[in-house]
Amino acid sequence: MATRNPPVPTAGAPAPTSGAPRDAYVIGGNRIPFARAGGKYSRASNQEMFTAALEGLVARYGLQGERLGEVVGGAVLKHARDFNLVRESVLGSSLSAQTPAYDLQQACATGLEAAIAVSNKIRLGQVESGVAGGSDTVSDAPIAVSEGLRRALLEASHAKTFGARVKAFGSVRPSDLAPLTPSTDEPRTGLSMGEHQAITTARWGITREAQDALALASHEHLAAAWDAGFFDDLVTPHRGLVRDQNLRADSSLEKLARLKPVYGKRLGGSPDDSGHRDGPEPTMTAGNSTPLTDGASTVLLGSREWASERNLPLLARVVDAETAAVDYVHGHEGLLMAPAHAVPRLLARNGLMLGDLDFYEIHEAFASTVLTTLAAWEDDEYCRTELGLDGRLGSIDRGRLNVTGSSLAAGHPFAATGGRIVATAAKLVARKAAETGGTTRALISVCAAGGLGVAMILESVHSTDATA
Amino acid sequence: MTDSYVKAVNSGFTKTLAKKLGLPRPAVLRRFRAGDPLTVGPVLVLGGTPGVADDADRVADALLGWDLDVRQNADDSTRWGAIVVVLTEIARPEDASPTVLALAANLRRLAPNGRVVTISRAPADGDDPALAAAREGVDGFLRSVAKELRYGATGNGVQLVTSRDEVPVDAVSSLAALRFFLSARSAFVDGQVLRVGSPVADVGVAGAYWDRPLEGKVAVVTGAARGIGAQVARTLARDGARVVVVDVPAAGEQLTTVANEIGGTALQLDVTADDAGARILEHARARHGGLDVLIHNAGILRDKLLANMTADRWDAVIAVNLAAQVRISEHLLGASGFSAEPRIVSLASTSGIAGNRGQSNYAFSKAGVIGHTRAFAARLADLGGTANAVAPGFIETEMTASIPFVTREVARRVASLQQGGRPVDVAEAIAFLASPAATGVNGQVLRVCGQNLVGR
Amino acid sequence: MRVETLPAVPGLGGLYGKGLAASGRLMMTRRLPGGGASDLALPDVAYRVAGVATGDDAAPGAVGSAAHLARYAQVVGEAPSEHLPAGYLHVLGFPLATALMVRGDFPLSLLGMVHLANAVSLVRPVRLGDTLEVRAWAQDLRPHRKGVQVDLVTEISVERTDDERAAGVGLPATTFAYRGVSTYLAKGTRLPDDSAGRTPEAHRDTGRDAQTFQPPLPTARWSLDGGTGRAYAAVSGDRNPIHTSALGAKAFGFPRAIAHGMYTAARALAESGAGRGETYDWTVSFAKPALLPSTVDVAIRPAADASARGRQDVEQVEAPVPDGAGDPRTGLTYVAWDRAGRPHLSGRVAPRP
Repeated sequence: MATRNPPVPTAGAPAPTSGAPRDAYVIGGNRIPFARAGGKYSRASNQEMFTAALEGLVARYGLQGERLGEVVGGAVLKHARDFNLVRESVLGSSLSAQTPAYDLQQACATGLEAAIAVSNKIRLGQVESGVAGGSDTVSDAPIAVSEGLRRALLEASHAKTFGARVKAFGSVRPSDLAPLTPSTDEPRTGLSMGEHQAITTARWGITREAQDALALASHEHLAAAWDAGFFDDLVTPHRGLVRDQNLRADSSLEKLARLKPVYGKRLGGSPDDSGHRDGPEPTMTAGNSTPLTDGASTVLLGSREWASERNLPLLARVVDAETAAVDYVHGHEGLLMAPAHAVPRLLARNGLMLGDLDFYEIHEAFASTVLTTLAAWEDDEYCRTELGLDGRLGSIDRGRLNVTGSSLAAGHPFAATGGRIVATAAKLVARKAAETGGTTRALISVCAAGGLGVAMILESVHSTDATA
Repeated sequence: MTDSYVKAVNSGFTKTLAKKLGLPRPAVLRRFRAGDPLTVGPVLVLGGTPGVADDADRVADALLGWDLDVRQNADDSTRWGAIVVVLTEIARPEDASPTVLALAANLRRLAPNGRVVTISRAPADGDDPALAAAREGVDGFLRSVAKELRYGATGNGVQLVTSRDEVPVDAVSSLAALRFFLSARSAFVDGQVLRVGSPVADVGVAGAYWDRPLEGKVAVVTGAARGIGAQVARTLARDGARVVVVDVPAAGEQLTTVANEIGGTALQLDVTADDAGARILEHARARHGGLDVLIHNAGILRDKLLANMTADRWDAVIAVNLAAQVRISEHLLGASGFSAEPRIVSLASTSGIAGNRGQSNYAFSKAGVIGHTRAFAARLADLGGTANAVAPGFIETEMTASIPFVTREVARRVASLQQGGRPVDVAEAIAFLASPAATGVNGQVLRVCGQNLVGR
Repeated sequence: MRVETLPAVPGLGGLYGKGLAASGRLMMTRRLPGGGASDLALPDVAYRVAGVATGDDAAPGAVGSAAHLARYAQVVGEAPSEHLPAGYLHVLGFPLATALMVRGDFPLSLLGMVHLANAVSLVRPVRLGDTLEVRAWAQDLRPHRKGVQVDLVTEISVERTDDERAAGVGLPATTFAYRGVSTYLAKGTRLPDDSAGRTPEAHRDTGRDAQTFQPPLPTARWSLDGGTGRAYAAVSGDRNPIHTSALGAKAFGFPRAIAHGMYTAARALAESGAGRGETYDWTVSFAKPALLPSTVDVAIRPAADASARGRQDVEQVEAPVPDGAGDPRTGLTYVAWDRAGRPHLSGRVAPRP
């Protein structure tokens, strides 16, 4: 692995102008409140939710009848009938039916990757505007049939005679009739994401207390942001749900501490009769892990000219983005550790240090995902051997981390999380830049199944240019 | 939400039955549809002296300009779409007689959904007593005539107010008020006398003005997610305005639907927030280049007999329905960016005029709206703008649908029009008051109540 | 060793019947006090079958056909491919080895025989369409703490095509491709001179392994459902009732059916991924059988990585490496264990240089 020596600019120095022909900007965002699985959206489909998020965005920015450059998004748990989910949503929206769309899927990073895709096309001048987003429902997840029944159905559909059709079902066993519910297990390992993270958590020795504290902060920050009206122009209610259903404004360390661990209980084997166990103590609970959630989000991006012609605000410039992947299959790296790799590469390319950011939006798949990532960046040996750096990447100011809460409190409808974070981060930098007059930057990182991780840097727009 | 009784007594077997039983048979009101004629038939203009160029002639000329079939001589066969009664020139009580009796002779031939509109002058300080008597008399006359009209016909009055100068009968606002009362837009406005003063701004009504009077204007409607507010937003958009719809974040879903239906922008905002005025203005300026029309529609009900009143119920109603309006209007008047001809229209209520049992908090707030409307009117006039209020009576909405059946029926039938109004009726009145040509209407409270018994 | 050529690979079904009869006969002879010791000699014969067709030339749906390979791949989790993975070659050769073990002169009873370990070298790729020659013989009868162990060796060669033969005059008719050594234990049986059975090597025993075994952090988890045994039986032909029914398993003292050891090993091989290359060595040693259904934790790690990870709380257990495995620092090691932390199997997969 080649060792890089990132340039060391002084803190707060402006990032070099990228080589792109022009910039892409975050104009705003809209999502629906996230619902707990089986909750308010238990009868809502991905298409309904994504359309709702899109409609709220159209209403907020007056985009009725507008032909956007494209709408890009996706869903992780997706019905076969939803093959054109995003385009169908556009057709059901108030946007011009001439707005193209395509589906994209990169597990939990779907929304953020979509934002990268749209912003890159804007930067290249291929489109002037676009919407990125995603939707996911656990409540309305697709159910598949067993392999045996699937084969029989396919054979029957190809059969030319009635007899052959009947014969096709001859091989179906009663057990084949049981439906297959979607699994969030990693296909290559059979381990759930939580079990994977439990392994990473054990490897990095992240304590239960630290995880619970992070979870509590997430709830407190999100509750405060809601109370302060921060989400008034980021969220539109849906199906009577007005706030994120998972938010526990009255959470406390005591309550979190009472929860039983749910992941990592088998590490090192179960306790023996005397209660002794050889493996690490399990630390991950329902309180410091993200619950299954339903929801959808969108982000509006555009060129400066496009926004200015429509009197739309420029919240933040998309500076750059980086996607990384790690080899987790054989345990070399933790499943959700890819952002630890993506971020230093992204910072180096843009001449930034870890401390140069004003906001850190690190997706809380689990409290320990954030904590292992931070621990990794503070670990000299890891940064040298795994990240190819000269030494530790550094620490971050926890006061700048997920300041309006993140997925532990808001919930995490997989493909919808990227859009939630981009819109939030863009608003945060715009707001702070307006207050201080200085350049403000946010770092976004989202981990994803398959050992994927995506990071993005947003930067405030100079105040005199913020609106046209 | 729909009044199925009105449907029943106007169609099929139930119509026959209702006739035989002598049940009240409220008419199906004619409401505005683009492309429909202004009136349902020819317009008879009464008043003045034949052969003398007077106010009646000026009115007739103006009506001809609107492509109407205008007559100044009655015949025995015409079914009148409207009868305009010009009484601006009466000086003594006796002077009204010929015109009034001419109206009497033609009243039976007023078509269903026809219109009677009086045009008179308001008494003023220092008037000769006979003049004052004659002018005041028109008010009572009009209100009584309105009660005698049937089949959806309405009677309303335009009362020209003399401030510095005498307002010409064919001034832009005089004619705008006349046109509003003649049209289907005023379907549920009945028995009202609207005071019209001198225009405070120079307004041209050329070209397609009457089709899209709010073309190029930016309007903000609070409480626009549903009911009357949503309809106001639709109507303003229909009339050409770019509309910012505002409602509490919790109502965002419906707000989105309204915004997307009318091509407006949605602003999720609690009007009681300290910075509500600033955020409204900021949004309108940044996204639409300014703000011309503000409709204070957001309102809540927390009904309770006063003896059972709690602080939260009282305070919430006052905060939303009244204090927020004052604070937002104050902010707009103090900030730059409110238009050169600013318009504010606020939602009052007949409860605020006449009072209503169990609604002491609501009535306080709605009477308060009338109070601040008059106060703001003077300040807005200095800016070339106006502040007015609309006082709806019984309007068929989700809110009133929850009223118990009998109470609801009584509330509907006590009006001259024997039915409840629709949100669009309120919206039309608001759109009229917000329109540039209504520049001479300031500090007024226009009731949209089907001439409900309560109050004036 | 005498080579006996069979016309075709025999069917396993018939062999099991024969094996049952032979086992019965052996049990009868063993009953004689001190009897049978002199019988403990392996038959000096190798079976050979030539012209074993694969791909389009194989009977439709039979072993060697594309459809059968696809079914196998699906069951053990191999990526669909034209290549015959080593586990599949094991399946292909298994009936021939079994045929040896059910010979009348084979000294051990097939019934109750325990598969201890397997070591495989795939030295050239075998593809669908290749015509194969399969040989099998038994060797190295030796003592074990609990009885006698024996190696069944299967070798598979690829017959040269006519074109190849025409191009290279004098080349052998086949090229060697695969060698698999399966080590079985016959419990209770003793060699006449069992002194060797007391050496530490021969005493390597799963029970002691289990006591010292510390599970590492897993890299994967297998949810083995109740049909796992039947699914593998259907593609391997190994329909031993101990794997396919609870009743059959109870007859041998297990509470439920147990997974085929070779199924678990084949799955570990499959999950070692593309890094194993086209040719590789693959070893496994079996400990406690996995009951069905059950959930099995697995660690599959780079051999060099496995013990080098500084932040691991538990050390990687070195899997025993029988003959045939290459450089111990390359490839992957794997180990699987149950919820109580007792090992099921361990082994290595290493690409051949």
